[in-house]
Amino acid sequence: METIRSDAAAWESYGFSAEAGERKSARALLVQHLGRCTGHAGLSPGLRALTDYVSASHFLLLRHDVMPEAGLESVIASDWPFDMVRAIAGAILAGQSRMSELDKCLTLLKPCFSHLADDIAVPKGISREYCTIAFHVGRVRMSLLLLFPEHFILSQSKLRDVGVMTGYFASVCCQGAFLRQDREMELTEREVECLYWIAEGKTSDEIAVILGISRNTINNYITSVMRKTATKTRSEAIAWAVRNNLV
Amino acid sequence: MGMGIQLSPPAGIEAEIRLARPPKAVTASDFVSRLQVMQTILGAGYFAVLRLGGHGLPSARKLTLSLHNLAHDADGHGRELLDAYGAVMLEHLEASMLPLIWDGVGDNQFAESSVETFTTRLPPRLLPWSGMAFPVRLGAHGNGYVLFMGTFIAPSSDLIIDMHMKSCQVLIDMLACEEKKLAPAEALSEREIACLQMAGDGCISEAIAEKMGLSVHTVNAYLGTATTKLDAVNRIQAIAKAIRLGYIT
Repeated sequence: METIRSDAAAWESYGFSAEAGERKSARALLVQHLGRCTGHAGLSPGLRALTDYVSASHFLLLRHDVMPEAGLESVIASDWPFDMVRAIAGAILAGQSRMSELDKCLTLLKPCFSHLADDIAVPKGISREYCTIAFHVGRVRMSLLLLFPEHFILSQSKLRDVGVMTGYFASVCCQGAFLRQDREMELTEREVECLYWIAEGKTSDEIAVILGISRNTINNYITSVMRKTATKTRSEAIAWAVRNNLV
Repeated sequence: MGMGIQLSPPAGIEAEIRLARPPKAVTASDFVSRLQVMQTILGAGYFAVLRLGGHGLPSARKLTLSLHNLAHDADGHGRELLDAYGAVMLEHLEASMLPLIWDGVGDNQFAESSVETFTTRLPPRLLPWSGMAFPVRLGAHGNGYVLFMGTFIAPSSDLIIDMHMKSCQVLIDMLACEEKKLAPAEALSEREIACLQMAGDGCISEAIAEKMGLSVHTVNAYLGTATTKLDAVNRIQAIAKAIRLGYIT
């Protein structure tokens, strides 16, 4: 690991961004290194190597399949100062859920820069600007947020590399415990089926005919969905289902 | 009146975001030439784009061949491909971002990855060609795979990352092209959007009316016109469509 970092650092120290050929070999070395960090204990060292590759200083990996109110539950791994994570995790989740589904799709793997609020204390020498790269590991949308030194410009192409590599790395590392808690599992197949037909504009009576069960059973399914999703009306339950890509 | 003034700034920002997207008209032949370049770089003989169709039910989702250069008997080859790997690809797309790789039938057929940890191998010898498939999960829309097939495919890790990124971009651009077709014929007004948003947030018409300082009848009328413009049969379908199209969140 040390060799990789010092090699990459040596290339960077020559001044401008390294030559294309050299950049590629640094990337190939990084992939090999990540291949050795695939246990759960390897998550932070792997993310550190990815952060170093793009010359950023701190990483924060978030998952977006939790409720915006969940805040810290969304954090998969981070070496940001804890107070910063606590201050912004909730705001970032809320920001993501305000984005339209289409914009989320179109901005995948595009590095995006934002400013931290003024009341958040930033470590000395670290820029108030941070970079976000979003990707999907299966159904789960994740974001890698990077802090970097002040007056520093991150390479766009390296940031995109890091997006893909973090996606691969998380696909291997995060398959275990925490990707399992899929919210779709909480709803039964029949309940999802009902949601789907309602979103297509069908009434309870029509769905009863389509599924060959009684109208009351359908209404029971919907009531059950509204209870599980803590939604007040049918419209809100459908909006929830659309936002969570269930229908 | 006050409401109209309050609502206009977000609408203005939205217009800017939409303008920032490339207005260029990308055609199918543009995609074909981009994919052919990628195919050449990978040393493959064919490419194919599979897209995920069927909103909703897991059982209703399926991959379909949307763009390819499988020359003769394309239908047969497409069916063969989906019969062999369709189900496993569908499952993989739900769980992982790792590229898929498989060996074809025949002595000199193989596909190799320089990073086995970050590729997933499919059962070998089911198809006449070896190949590699890049899963692309964009979110609510436009998900699928970009595939390259040939007799011998052995990309370096650098090439895999580059090609995966390009595959994502191809599906993003395909989605951006379709966005125009998805958009309703007539744009929704600010008030219609505001009513839909509140309805989607769980407000009943009475509550929306109170918040907006309108009568319940007016709110229902706005929701009705929005439903018509979105070509939906009722309010609930209008909300679903408005979220998918990005009018409300």
